[in-house]
Amino acid sequence: MSTPDAPRSLAEALRACDDAAMVALLRARPDLLTPVPNDLTQLATRAGTRASVVRALERLDRFTQQVAEALAVAPEPATYGELLGLVAGDDEPDGVRDALDRALGTLRGQALVWGGGDRFRLVRTARELLAPTPQRPSPTGLGPTVGEAMAGMSPGRVQSLVTAAGLAATHDAVSAVEALTALFTDRKRMAALLDEAPPESVEVLSRLVWGPPYGQVTAEPAGHLRWLIDRGLLLPTAPGTVVLPREVALHLRGGRAHHVLEAVAPPVVAAREHRPQVVDNTAAGQAHMALATVEELLKDWDEGGPAVLRAGGLSVRDLKRTAVALDVPEPQAAFWVELAYSAGLLAADGEADERYAATPAYDTWQELPVAERWTRLATAWLAGTRTAGLVGGRDSKDRTLSALGPGLDRSAAPEVRTRVLGLLAELPEGAAPDAESVQARLRWERPPGTGASDLRSRLAHWTLEEAELLGVTGRGALSAHGRALLAEGLDQHSPSPGSGGAGTGAAGERAARLLAPLLPEPLDHVLLQADLTAVAPGPLRRPLADALAVLADIESKGGATVYRFTPGSVRRALDAGQSASDLHAFLTAHSRTPVPQPLSYLIDDVARKHGHLRIGAASAYVRCDDEGVLNEILADRRGEGLRLRRLAPTVLATPADPATLLEGLRSMGFAPSAESAEGDVLITRAHSHRTPPRTAPEPVPDGPPLPDATLLGAAVRAIRAGDLASTAPRKEAPTAAPGELPRTTAAETLATMQAAVLTGEALWIGYVNAEGAASQRVIAPVRVEGGFVTAYDHTADEVRTYPLHRVTGVAELADEAG
Amino acid sequence: MNGPLIVQSDKTLLLEVDHEQADACRRAIAPFAELERAPEHIHTYRLTPLGLWNARAAGHDAEQVVDALVAYSRYPVPHALLVDVAETMARYGRLTLAKHPAHGLVLTTTDRPVLEEILRSKKIQPLVGTRVDPDTVAVHPSERGQIKQTLLKLGWPAEDLAGYVDGEAHAIDLDETGWALRPYQRQAVENFWHGGSGVVVLPCGAGKTLVGAGAMAEAKATTLILVTNTVSARQWKHELVKRTSLTEDEIGEYSGTKKEIRPVTIATYQVLTTRRKGIYPHLELFDSRDWGLILYDEVHLLPAPVFKFTADLQARRRLGLTATLVREDGRESDVFSLIGPKRFDAPWKEIEAQGYIAPADCVEVRVNLTDSERLAYATAEAEEKYRFCATTATKRKVTEALVRKHAGQQTLVIGQYIDQLDELGEHLNAPVIKGETTNAQREKLFDAFREGEISVLVVSKVANFSIDLPEATVAIQVSGTFGSRQEEAQRLGRVLRPKADGHEARFYSVVARDTIDQDFAAHRQRFLAEQGYAYRILDADAVLAEDA
Repeated sequence: MSTPDAPRSLAEALRACDDAAMVALLRARPDLLTPVPNDLTQLATRAGTRASVVRALERLDRFTQQVAEALAVAPEPATYGELLGLVAGDDEPDGVRDALDRALGTLRGQALVWGGGDRFRLVRTARELLAPTPQRPSPTGLGPTVGEAMAGMSPGRVQSLVTAAGLAATHDAVSAVEALTALFTDRKRMAALLDEAPPESVEVLSRLVWGPPYGQVTAEPAGHLRWLIDRGLLLPTAPGTVVLPREVALHLRGGRAHHVLEAVAPPVVAAREHRPQVVDNTAAGQAHMALATVEELLKDWDEGGPAVLRAGGLSVRDLKRTAVALDVPEPQAAFWVELAYSAGLLAADGEADERYAATPAYDTWQELPVAERWTRLATAWLAGTRTAGLVGGRDSKDRTLSALGPGLDRSAAPEVRTRVLGLLAELPEGAAPDAESVQARLRWERPPGTGASDLRSRLAHWTLEEAELLGVTGRGALSAHGRALLAEGLDQHSPSPGSGGAGTGAAGERAARLLAPLLPEPLDHVLLQADLTAVAPGPLRRPLADALAVLADIESKGGATVYRFTPGSVRRALDAGQSASDLHAFLTAHSRTPVPQPLSYLIDDVARKHGHLRIGAASAYVRCDDEGVLNEILADRRGEGLRLRRLAPTVLATPADPATLLEGLRSMGFAPSAESAEGDVLITRAHSHRTPPRTAPEPVPDGPPLPDATLLGAAVRAIRAGDLASTAPRKEAPTAAPGELPRTTAAETLATMQAAVLTGEALWIGYVNAEGAASQRVIAPVRVEGGFVTAYDHTADEVRTYPLHRVTGVAELADEAG
Repeated sequence: MNGPLIVQSDKTLLLEVDHEQADACRRAIAPFAELERAPEHIHTYRLTPLGLWNARAAGHDAEQVVDALVAYSRYPVPHALLVDVAETMARYGRLTLAKHPAHGLVLTTTDRPVLEEILRSKKIQPLVGTRVDPDTVAVHPSERGQIKQTLLKLGWPAEDLAGYVDGEAHAIDLDETGWALRPYQRQAVENFWHGGSGVVVLPCGAGKTLVGAGAMAEAKATTLILVTNTVSARQWKHELVKRTSLTEDEIGEYSGTKKEIRPVTIATYQVLTTRRKGIYPHLELFDSRDWGLILYDEVHLLPAPVFKFTADLQARRRLGLTATLVREDGRESDVFSLIGPKRFDAPWKEIEAQGYIAPADCVEVRVNLTDSERLAYATAEAEEKYRFCATTATKRKVTEALVRKHAGQQTLVIGQYIDQLDELGEHLNAPVIKGETTNAQREKLFDAFREGEISVLVVSKVANFSIDLPEATVAIQVSGTFGSRQEEAQRLGRVLRPKADGHEARFYSVVARDTIDQDFAAHRQRFLAEQGYAYRILDADAVLAEDA
């Protein structure tokens, strides 16, 4: 096995492998190919990146994962023997070698393990991912090795451990660790050591053996713990925490890395067995039902389906309505809607007021033979990533997922569907699987990651349900046509969404060929009964079904259809342009039994009254007791523009308005008179035209209105005050020129104000308002506080408050002149 | 895959009657499916929870039901339906009503969560007593009917194993000299006796009284018979004296006029529901003797107070007899839960085919209203409209023409409105029997009619039921209680007694065209049409022309 020149790196290992292996690697790990690496070193580097390794590890089956985990806790490089020991333990179960070889093959093929012959190396990134650390315990439940756990321990403590374990003291820590490791890995000596252990200590070990390997101890551990800690069977990791070293755990486990070894895939168990014929027939019946449901759905939406929500998708109310219309539960309605959408039979119309409607593809689909129609649906379902089961749930941002809306694509869906059906196909014909065993198998093939919501098992659950609805399975077992559909999908290693379209070809045709004879042959007749019902004992030819759906109400659907004739339904047919004799002929032609008399009477009775009353629009009429005059009017060419029509011998009607008609007839030399709604002659004497009640206009004087006495008084006061402000002689000439604002320092302003409050004198101030406009005012301050002055403003004749910082300056008024 | 049955996903079963396996299929599905419609080509059955539970009660299991459906189905049976059948049937028998030596009547369960669920229901709580153990709860004996009815509504039907009281024994035997129970009557009696209590549905004229007599002969105990009216009570008495070992003295009549309580007592619904000062003084009749069997004639007419009282009689055997278990008030399910499930049901056409009822030709005569009548109809008040179109003069003319056409045959003219009947009686020169006619007078007229002394009789709705007029051959219905389906069937029933010479009966329904009368007629005919009676439509003008 061992080759003289064993590879020294993954790149070298890859270099050594042949093209087929390389192709297999790239197929299994397609992420390595984007972009195409320049050389093998780059490929190896990329294969060792964390993201890629995580992805590859996730896609391994349970046992291969276990092997990888075992390699991660094995010494590097590991020999086959060591690995087998870890995987299988001391008492090797049957067949485990084969499984191990296969798993190693997979790991090697996926470039997760390399190394020639008997020296297996796990890619470093994978080892880091899988090896246990205190933060991230390994699925194996194993702790660190003695070496790892004792790193950083004081030499004195190391030596005491060694002696306590009954070994000779060594001269350095490294050899001490080696000696201890050798003791722990030696089954015989270890067994002898443990035989001396107090029973409580053994109990403690057995609690830690399958992980997690960490335990808490107090500062003064009890005797049985002390015993273990002294001998290094428990090693301290942090104050108060001890760990069971990997070697000890493996000894106690009998060498096994995993508690439960899942070397063999759990088999899918058949829950029930049916005759294959029963299965095929049931599935065919359901397939027929599926087609009918999709057609009914699109017929329901034929004249404009429900509106598209702004966020995309179908509103909950519309889904409910659809469910009622289809007579199915809501989740099922969501499935049918999504199925039609996936098959390209319906879409949003893209108009401004967006609605769902059938696509042109629907019309071509309808023209296909029945079986082919079904395969279109089934292949679209199998390959589609849209997942109807999610409808009604919530996305990561807690928004409701609506049917036909965004966020329903799950890339794993086609693969899970194909795999689930594949598992069903492995059962004997007619066997329905136990759903739980299917789930268990899927979990083994692709163990769910920790924490993530188990999407795959939900997908599998939906797959089983949907396959039954669609008629791929019947009574839970895969039907012959379902098997045929699958045949192609199984050959491909990883079905991509695109493969469905291509797969429609051969597999679809095969399925359609198998299905076609099982579907009921469309009939061209119904049975008419005297209780005014018609029964179609099977599916009807399309034109017949369409015509009958207009003529009668559907009472019951399924394999057969029960129609009921009512006056309303017959009227509907008459409204659709059929005559009574058409209906009689139609029924006679398609009834296998004579048409019952009550039915003929019903049609005749409704037809007799149908259209008896005629409704139209006219805006004016001419009536005249003398038919001759009306004849004359109709005959007159000048009257053509009036578009008169004779409704009765004495009545003409026209779409023209009465005034035009009057005018027109007058110009033709007649002397018509207008008629009121009650039939009275309207007197056309020039009728005085009056407005509704109106008030006379108010006079609009030039200039403002005359002020009253109060206003005048106030105005005078204001004018005077302003005058006072501008003309009052100042006590001392301020720094400002006349006409300018007074300017004083802030302190001066404040002092003058406060003085004025005491004396009650009026002051002349300059003031700048918030808009920056300056003005002069005469004020009598009342109060100065908080940076504001409250004063009686003579200029405005009211009490105002001014911020002091807006006052530019202040001056006392000169004494009254003269 | 070429069976006679089509199983629809809405749980109806369509049976093609002309199919060679149709009979076998009918027998296979009859125990659990209700016959809903039986027109000429395709019969419709329906799977109901009640039907499935009755089948369980009669010892059928879900496997048999599924097998029957699958075996005869033309198309694959929808899987969901099969699952539903199994699930529904599995609900039966989780709860059992039984006699407990210490606690009397108890409700026990084999599935504790079910008991917890139903005990949480507000409707159940007042009906049960103490919890005997985790799986058992005591039930007040008087609430036996009520709790069964409520459990049925909750979807957990209880299996009633508490049994029946035998009642006071009294020797009753059938006196089968010169006659014998017909096979279907025997079957009906057997089914009833085996099931304990229940309803037997037989067409009018098919001899329901004899089924009652047969049941009494099985019970051999004192019997209370509830009937619709006094005339019918007398007929029962007459028939029982003639057909059984009972003598005149052993049979009492409990009616408005007589209050006899004898080993076999025949009471009218009317007297039972007479109310004085807010109480029903005559309901104690139920307790006046230790009855071993209670017979309800025309159970579809069972009045509400009797319903209530019947709920308390669950320990006694009950037999309901009817021709048409359709109630316009939709209380059929109360009949089933209080009296018992349907034990026997025979389609009318089948009995006709066996020759036990006369074949009948049902004719709807459409009368055109005259222009003035049409105008008057159009302007009539909404509540008067039916009365108006049902009693038009044109109808009278047509009726007279029909009577003349069948001159010499025993003819009944049946109507709703007294004025109309009086007028008809006058024109036809025939006696009129209506509500105010005394019982003595009624019996006199009926006897005269039976003897052939009178050939035309005009009757109001008093003659809808239980009036045995074997010789009546032609019935002409001129008006009715709006759209009542069972009235139509009962009236047809008046002429269905097999005729001595085997000729067919004629049933005319005179209907005013294009009026509400026609709509009601369509509704009235539905039951019979679904039983396979194909109405022929005749124009009144043709009748009048023939007459002229």
